[in-house]
Order: sequence, then structure tokens, then C-alpha cells
Amino acid sequence: MSVRRGALGAAVVLTALLLQSAVLFRIPGPAPELLLLVVLAFAVVEGPASGAGTGFIAGFLVDAGSDQELGRVALAYALAGYLAGVVRTGPDRSRFAFLGAVAAGAMLAVTAYAVEGVLLSDPRTTFTAWVGALAATVAGCVLLAPLVVPMVGVLVRRLDEDPRR
Amino acid sequence: MRATRRARLLLVVLLLSAVTLTAVDAQGDGLGGVRRTADRLLGPAQNAVSGAVARVTGSGGQDDAALRAEVARLTGELRRSEGLQRRVDELDRLLALSNAGTYPMVAARVSSIGAAFGFGSTVTIDAGSLDGVREGQTVVNGDGLVGRTVRVGPVTSTVLLLTDQGFTVGARLTRAGTIGLASGDGDGGLSYELVEGGSVTVGDALLTTGSDTFVPGVPVGRMTAVRARAGALVTTATVAPFIDASSLDLVGIVTEPPRGIPRVPIQPSP
Repeated sequence: MSVRRGALGAAVVLTALLLQSAVLFRIPGPAPELLLLVVLAFAVVEGPASGAGTGFIAGFLVDAGSDQELGRVALAYALAGYLAGVVRTGPDRSRFAFLGAVAAGAMLAVTAYAVEGVLLSDPRTTFTAWVGALAATVAGCVLLAPLVVPMVGVLVRRLDEDPRR
Repeated sequence: MRATRRARLLLVVLLLSAVTLTAVDAQGDGLGGVRRTADRLLGPAQNAVSGAVARVTGSGGQDDAALRAEVARLTGELRRSEGLQRRVDELDRLLALSNAGTYPMVAARVSSIGAAFGFGSTVTIDAGSLDGVREGQTVVNGDGLVGRTVRVGPVTSTVLLLTDQGFTVGARLTRAGTIGLASGDGDGGLSYELVEGGSVTVGDALLTTGSDTFVPGVPVGRMTAVRARAGALVTTATVAPFIDASSLDLVGIVTEPPRGIPRVPIQPSP
């Protein structure tokens, strides 16, 4: 991985983190998990290794700013990124296969986080909360995926084609 | 399905790192430095972006904010005065004062709402340890109790809202005077359990009793329903908080812990 690719990843992840934490919550309704979607987009565009790596770093940043134990969101995002990358490189090569990969990744992220909550006996982890989070996260990610995934794809491809790298 | 050996190996390493981090962090405050560093790097950017957006969307207009703060203050005052009559009667006997609203506070703006995936009710505020905020301090706004600080970084802090399942505060009914515990129900409200039985009326308001962490006399919410089952040992009631958790903006953090109930010396009668 080149320095420029690393810089691109950092820039996209930090932008998404700031947008999600400081802007999106002002819109009425459940705030979409933009950062998770960016992780899944990298996974879809570049594969499971990129998804897991980006997911771990992005999730760690979320952890650092929350009152939860460090590493919880990092684990959930890394798993989700890996799965989305695996599904995307799987047999279904149709044009909209990325939506399936994004949905699968979003589901795994929420569920992994909920399982961690149960293991750590976090009182917030209830069945209702899990179902609500699952619906909101999957819906938000799938709705925004047609916008975000191609954007990340264009950025990564630009970098690949750039002769100066 | 194809995932290279390298990708699988990377995933295993990352998962093990994450689990280790979680395990170490669950044991104590060994990783506080990591959090503080992250907050120093990201906090200022988050505060700046959130403040800029608030100005653009008009929710932070100076006159508007001042007026809304005034309305909120007066509403809070009105609610506090509900319990005043009963308190006045008790003051002479208890020699205890509930001087809500007179504690030194740090004002802060909510810069972000929501926990990971919506599990739990927390908000992030743009004040931290550099502003005098510490963990476990009472957070209020003009409407009443907002919550308490649970994570404090140098420039931002996380506030556990009173509606979170992990939140509990001692509270007293304004009219009946009964003491109980109010806990968040994770669904935008609180449930209130009487410690020693007693009567609960729908519409009655709750004020904090004060403890090591909580300042006394802060309005919490109002009873909306009572679930008194025959044979049940404790009476449980549903409470709607006075604050609107979805539109929190300006909050105050009580930075000076309550020094206990102020006591007036009793003169020995001749």
C-alpha cells in the first residue's frame, strides 16, 4: 500500500467520521452510519483485506470517542469490512451485487457489536435495541450505498491510474 | 468466495487486537492515554465542524439562543417552585436547603448525539477536562436534568443521558415528598421505583435528591403512569423527562461537587 493510498483512506475515513459525528445527527430521524458505509465501500472496491484494515482503524476512532470499551466498534467494523469484501469477490458478479455485500456487512457489524454487549453484560444490549439498530443501520447503508460506493471507487481508481504514484 | 491467505491472516490479527483492547479497557483505566490523545487530535475538529453547522442551520443564533435560554430557565424555575411549598414546610424541620441552580457551572454545546449503532443514549459535548469537567458530574439544561459525564477527554466529553439504561438517580416527588430511584428505560423515558412505598400521583414532578455525584433539586421529569400491582413490593411509575433528548443544544456541567447538605447550627434553648 502506497503512502498516497494511505492518505486517501485517512482523508475519506476522517471526513466520514466528522460528517457522522458533527453533522448527520442534526437531520431528523436515525442518523445513517456513514463511517461504516465508507468501510464497506472500501471492502467492495478493494476486497476483504482493505475492508478489514479500514474497518479496524475507523472503528477504533469511534471507540476512542465513546464511553464504551475500546476495540468494540473496531472489531465489529473489521468483521463487517472483511465479510463485505468476501461477498463482493464471490460468485455474484451482477451490477448490484455491491448492495448485497453492503447489507451483509451492515448486519454483521450490528450483530457483532450486540454480541460483544451481551458478553460484556452491557445493560443497553436488549433484543429490541438490536432489532432497531439492525433495521436502521442496514436501511441507511443500503440507501446511501449507490452514492458512496461509486464515489470511493472513483477515488481509488483515480489513484491507481495516476502515473505519478 | 475467495479470500486470500493474507486477508484471512490480517483479519485474525485485527480481531485479536480488538479483543485484547476491549479486555484491557474493561479492566480499568490503562488506556486512558489513548482516549485523551485521540480526543486532542479529533476533538477540536469535531467541535469546530459542529459549531459551524449549528450556526449555518440557524440553531445557534445569538438572540434566538438567549431567548430560548431565558424561556427554558423560567420554565425550570416554575417547575421547581411546584415543590417549593412542601419544601418550605420542611426547611425549618430539616434545616436543609436545596439550592438548585446556584452551583458553579461550565456551559457547553452538544456537538454530537448518539452512541454506536444507537445502542444507548449518549451525547458528546464540546467541553472537557481543560474546561474543568470531570467524570461523574451532573449535566443540566434549563429544562432539567440531562445526565452525567461518563467519558471526559481534554476537549470533548460524553454525557450519559438520563434515559439510558445504565442511568440511575435518586429522586423525590415534589408534592408527596416520597423518595425513590429513577432509572432510564432506554426508550426515551424513565421508570421510578419508590424505596419505601407511598403514594404516587400521575402528573407529579420529580427532583433529584442529591448524592455524591448528583446535585440536589434538579427537575428530572413528570409521572405519566403508575403501575401499582396488587401484591407487588415496590410501586413503579413511568416518568417522562423534562428535557427533549432529541434537540439538546446548550447544557451546563456542574463542576463543583455538592458539599453535602448545608447545615445550620441549632442554638441550644435556654
